[in-house]
Amino acid sequence: MPSWDEFQPFIVTGLALGGVYALSGVGMVVLYRTTGVLNLAFGAVGAMGALIAWQLINESGWGEYPAYLVCILFGGVVTLAYGVAFGPPLAGRDPLVKATATLGLALILLGAMSWIWSDKARSMILPTSTENFEVGDVLVNYTQVIGVAFGIGVTLFTVAFLKFTKLGTAMRGLANDREITATLGVPVRWVEASAWLVSGLLSGVSGLLLSNLVGLDAATLTFLVISSLAAALIARLQSLVVTLIAGLVVGLVSAMATPIESISEYRNMAPFVLATVALLFLSRKGRISLSGRSV
Amino acid sequence: MRFGGVTPLDAMSVTFESGTCGLIGPNGAGKTTFFNVLSGFVEPASGAVVAFGDDLLAMPHYKRARWGLRRTFQTEQAIEELSVAGNVALAHEHSSRSDRAERQRDVLGAIEFVGLDVDPEVKVGTLGARERRLVEVARAVVGKPRLVLLDEPAAGLPGEETEHLGRVIQRIPEHMGALVILVDHDMSLVSACCDTTAVLDFGRLIASGPTAEVLRNKDVMRAYLGTEEVEGTERVA
Amino acid sequence: MTVAEAPTAPKRPSPLARLDAGDRKRAVVIVVLLAFVLLALPGWMSAYWTDVATQVAIYSVVALGLGLLMGRVGLVSLGQIAVLALGAWTFARLSFASGMPFPIVLLLSGLITMVLGTLVGLPALRMSGLYLALITLMLAGAIAVVLTATNFPNGGGGFLGHIERDFGNDSVRRPAIALTDSAYFRYTVIACVLMFLLALVHVRAKPGRAWAAIRQSEPAALAAGVNITLYKLWAFALASFMTGIAGGLMAADVGQLFTFQFATSQNIELLAVVLIGGIYSLWGAIVAGVFFKLIPALLDNWGLPADLLTILFGVGILQVLLTAPAGLAYQFPRDMKRLGGLLVGLFRRAAPAGERTS
Repeated sequence: MPSWDEFQPFIVTGLALGGVYALSGVGMVVLYRTTGVLNLAFGAVGAMGALIAWQLINESGWGEYPAYLVCILFGGVVTLAYGVAFGPPLAGRDPLVKATATLGLALILLGAMSWIWSDKARSMILPTSTENFEVGDVLVNYTQVIGVAFGIGVTLFTVAFLKFTKLGTAMRGLANDREITATLGVPVRWVEASAWLVSGLLSGVSGLLLSNLVGLDAATLTFLVISSLAAALIARLQSLVVTLIAGLVVGLVSAMATPIESISEYRNMAPFVLATVALLFLSRKGRISLSGRSV
Repeated sequence: MRFGGVTPLDAMSVTFESGTCGLIGPNGAGKTTFFNVLSGFVEPASGAVVAFGDDLLAMPHYKRARWGLRRTFQTEQAIEELSVAGNVALAHEHSSRSDRAERQRDVLGAIEFVGLDVDPEVKVGTLGARERRLVEVARAVVGKPRLVLLDEPAAGLPGEETEHLGRVIQRIPEHMGALVILVDHDMSLVSACCDTTAVLDFGRLIASGPTAEVLRNKDVMRAYLGTEEVEGTERVA
Repeated sequence: MTVAEAPTAPKRPSPLARLDAGDRKRAVVIVVLLAFVLLALPGWMSAYWTDVATQVAIYSVVALGLGLLMGRVGLVSLGQIAVLALGAWTFARLSFASGMPFPIVLLLSGLITMVLGTLVGLPALRMSGLYLALITLMLAGAIAVVLTATNFPNGGGGFLGHIERDFGNDSVRRPAIALTDSAYFRYTVIACVLMFLLALVHVRAKPGRAWAAIRQSEPAALAAGVNITLYKLWAFALASFMTGIAGGLMAADVGQLFTFQFATSQNIELLAVVLIGGIYSLWGAIVAGVFFKLIPALLDNWGLPADLLTILFGVGILQVLLTAPAGLAYQFPRDMKRLGGLLVGLFRRAAPAGERTS
């Protein structure tokens, strides 16, 4: 077993990664609760945003910050466009159909990315990654700080938003019962559109951060969504605070396994294992309901 | 077992003897819940269901069907992509040990019994509401059923169809040897088919006995017909 | 759940296992097609296209498994390529470890994959459709991580059977009677036909009826005495078995296995081609195999980027879910019939007009 000192740097990487997992998890849960759509293209949208930013900076000579802004806006616009185009026609369908449809978007983006940028490895370094400070013996860069801070901040902000604002209340209403909320005079389309937009902006942010923390590769970033999904699943796609905690734990566990030689190679399994165990544990009381859907 | 503060079935004790028995009561009285308890979709908090000396609650739901418990649903549940014969065979092949030729005979017999004059190989998805309903009844009586639960089989059917269905239901106990429990709001169907009838209101048994007597009972008139008048307006529990 | 509602109009063949006139006609068509594929095709094809055709057959079986799960039972698995990888790994390991005859090894790897797939299905079945799909996606991710770490057996020792070599890896062996590419293509097609027959036997008999009932209405299935858990597990076991066999065939086809042959994105692409091909018909699985392997090879041949196809798959998923739930295997013959009718109509209208002018 490695000593405590060897673990320390991985606590920082783990928390940073976990923060971003939480950020994406929250983005997916908010959308799922409001619209019933589990957006499996979340990672692909973020990845494409990051690649566009890379293109703007390295090929078109844009400044860094405008490019980052474009990345985040791209996430918002694409997700919103998908939501406006495919949300309503699929509104009455099973959640599984809605989630499957987003895989269509994921494939479109994945194909486009691999066509435009091919599979060559790229790197994007945020200016915050080059500035460090030390905590004890561990070097911490500001991107990592942003990762953790965004994860926690966005979660708390979203919780407060849902609780205290009119739009937030409407979103919670929709999550509860779409029909009833609609009859109460809530403009369902607008509320859903704002959920798509917010979730999309979050996908842009997490794509940007992940491209920096993990690497700028279309397939990797697209399927990193599975790790964030793990956090969302542990929260049963309901609780934002649990998503945050689960995201941090998933990030921490996978990073902390790195120095342990026997399991180091398998560390990326952590999200899947944790989510599967959590789901099995939570579904012990699975039962058959008369609607034909078991809960 | 509680649903939203209303107890659908409360300390209800009822015994059905033989033949075709009616089970009536206003909306929300607990008739369907009673069926769901019998077929195992809901677990009662306490109580026992004994049928022909067997404890139904001790069996998992699919085993109850194999024991001989059959039911139809308020909403249409004929499997559209299967043929008429396939639908009926479905109920039979999981509950009987008989060989294939015999099963085939039973299936065709049940289709004939309910008076379904369509090609057994035609898909249920292409049939009309009347035929689909009869397919469900055939599925409930094929083979050797012991207890047949019919949940509003006549709902939405025109008068003459209801009469035909009534004649089919009446013949089930005699021809198939099963006890039939019929839930329906159509009083003429219930009185035509059922020798005895039990009345539920708010999860309690308020009357039971020979159908004609039960329907004249004062409490029944008040509970049942009283709400009949306000039917159409929303009933707030 | 229903991925898409079954079409109600023109009906597919009777589910009861007996042959009617339509079946006989279909059987003749299939036998002729098969004779063509087995006898004529290998002679015409270059080594490259023989390989592509072998892959098409193999992936048709993988698509068949997923199609059964989705179209018949209404379960979505996002991890079938991972199951295929398990089958390939098992076959390679058994093949290097023993001198057992090829068919026995193939059958064994099918069975082992079946057990593994069923173990995965066992706990997941308690969950609703969406959660089940996500669990399979998680497991696909997990299997990918494990395979990256362990690699595929290549004749090394130990349990994992992998050894790092610079070059000259041992190939997974092929059956003695089918060492050449053409012979192995025939061998694969026959094995795949057996898998289709296995599926057909299931779909047309008791399990098929039970699955149809489960898919449309679990309460109705329960009321008919269907043991829902058993039949869902059965479907998982059957799909895993077939995918395991396909994995074995693939291992012997490519000879050397690498993780990139089972990329995570392929799980999604497979879902797309299965939806596009059509989940309610066994023909759909063949269409899916063609889309998955033949069309990329054609594009490659014409110098077009295969990424275009990925985009097309994405559009296909959306289009199928929105408008054509039964997929191409159902839509295409209908469109052709309509087109044929239209042409005949035009011809009839044109003919009398022509007579008058003459």
